[in-house]
Amino acid sequence: MDQNSAQKIESDLDVILSMIDELQEVDTSKIEPMFSPIEQTAIVYDDVISSDNLKEDFLTQAPNSDNNFFKVPKVVE
Amino acid sequence: MLANKEITPSELTEESISLAKRYASLNCFNVINEEAAIAQSRNLSFDSNNLLSCIPIAHKDLFCIKDLETTCSSKILEGYKPPYTATVVKNLENAGCITIAKTNMDEFAMGSSNETSYFGNVHNPWLKNHVPGGSSGGAAASVASGIVPLATGTDTGGSIRQPAALCNLTGLKPTYGRISRWGMIAFASSLDQAGPIAHTAKDCAIALDAMTGHDSKDSTSLHLGKTTTLETLEKHTSLTLGIVKEFNGQLSAEMELAFQKSIMTYQSLGYKIKEITLPNIKYSVPTYYVIAPAECSSNLSRFDGVRFGFRSKNIQNLEDLYVKSRSEGFGNEVKRRILIGTYVLSAGYYDAYYKKAQQVRRLIAEDFNSAFKECDLILTPTSPGTTFAFDSKGSKDPTELYLEDLFTIAANLAGIPAISVPQAFVNNLPSGHQLIGPHLSESAILQTAHHFQLNSDWHLKSPSMESFL
Repeated sequence: MDQNSAQKIESDLDVILSMIDELQEVDTSKIEPMFSPIEQTAIVYDDVISSDNLKEDFLTQAPNSDNNFFKVPKVVE
Repeated sequence: MLANKEITPSELTEESISLAKRYASLNCFNVINEEAAIAQSRNLSFDSNNLLSCIPIAHKDLFCIKDLETTCSSKILEGYKPPYTATVVKNLENAGCITIAKTNMDEFAMGSSNETSYFGNVHNPWLKNHVPGGSSGGAAASVASGIVPLATGTDTGGSIRQPAALCNLTGLKPTYGRISRWGMIAFASSLDQAGPIAHTAKDCAIALDAMTGHDSKDSTSLHLGKTTTLETLEKHTSLTLGIVKEFNGQLSAEMELAFQKSIMTYQSLGYKIKEITLPNIKYSVPTYYVIAPAECSSNLSRFDGVRFGFRSKNIQNLEDLYVKSRSEGFGNEVKRRILIGTYVLSAGYYDAYYKKAQQVRRLIAEDFNSAFKECDLILTPTSPGTTFAFDSKGSKDPTELYLEDLFTIAANLAGIPAISVPQAFVNNLPSGHQLIGPHLSESAILQTAHHFQLNSDWHLKSPSMESFL
């Protein structure tokens, strides 16, 4: 990000954060957070083997791959 | 026309594709699925028992379709061809729909004006150089222009309903969990929901019944069968519609007049109107702008230049790969929201922002529960105004554009269904009102919207399209 974009984003974030700060005036002392509109417990799946391995298909979408691996610049000297 | 054999499935598909090309200057499509659509239409025979048989459809460009480029209108997914197809697309194809194109949208669905797309702005078919709304702006423009009769959209804070209102269409956001999110590229997972955009409530009902149903691939998919809203569409019971006290005085005089005309139409049809209160509704926009960016910052971490999509050419090491691919791949609005999201989730701020917003979210959802003891559905305007000129909102103050979703966001926070319905024009431009209902009340919402449309003709008006030739 260059200097100009950084300054613009910084001032945008100030405006957005001051809008968000309105939430501080709400008394939420005894309120449980609502993380999802569906408050159901995790679904348990049947223990069945599926064969949806699309490895080759996914590797064709990689910007760079070699055999069975995604290729990235060297990490270890 | 298909039933009377006045047109064949392939002629209809070719006509739709030819319109898409004729109105290319609308910029409502990211990719046209020409070859595959024509091949599909030649192989399909019309099934008179199936209302969606051979109907051309456009999908928002965040639904994965096998081997068809899917970008979310972002440079970071340029060239990405998914190896699988989203459940909702499959459901519609199984019902007979033919995918004509993928529609332009705000980048990763972040926007209310379709001005954040990497592929440029979409025009409103009613007025050139004006926004179609967002984020499903391309979807709305593709239906309003007559290219397709039906399009899919997604709605995280109003992204189906607001463009529907600005383009004179009917757009439904179903209950959270009604429609599978599998294969739909995530923005904010606890708010995102797919839905139909069409001319009428009846068309939305037909599409919804095909789109819904449990999907074991989506852990938040409700354990319910397909909806049957078309069967009950003609059932009209005179319900009580709640008018939100806190929304008084939020509209211009012209918009208020259009909304009052809708209220009067409902009254004349026997609906009771009752003022209700949603005391915490004014906090819905700030609540949303904590939760949605928090979830997006997590969801968008997968776009790293390693496994799919865009990778920066100018890299020396692994850190460069991440930083430059993301810096060059994401647009400004997306970056802004990722920064807000990581900030509100960071240690030391989590309780003050993220947890606080989720607590206020519960208060807003409880307000709706209390209100639905007083009324059956809630009636509000869909958006504060009509379409506006490109670059006229949000460039100095981003929150100006966020307030476009003032009336729509709360339904996403609570996970409840809502529809936008065309109403009286304001200064010759479309406007809409919204019906919000309790969880799983899609039938009542669609019946009421349909009843309104049987007694009004706003939804029948279409734009001239001359300026796009």
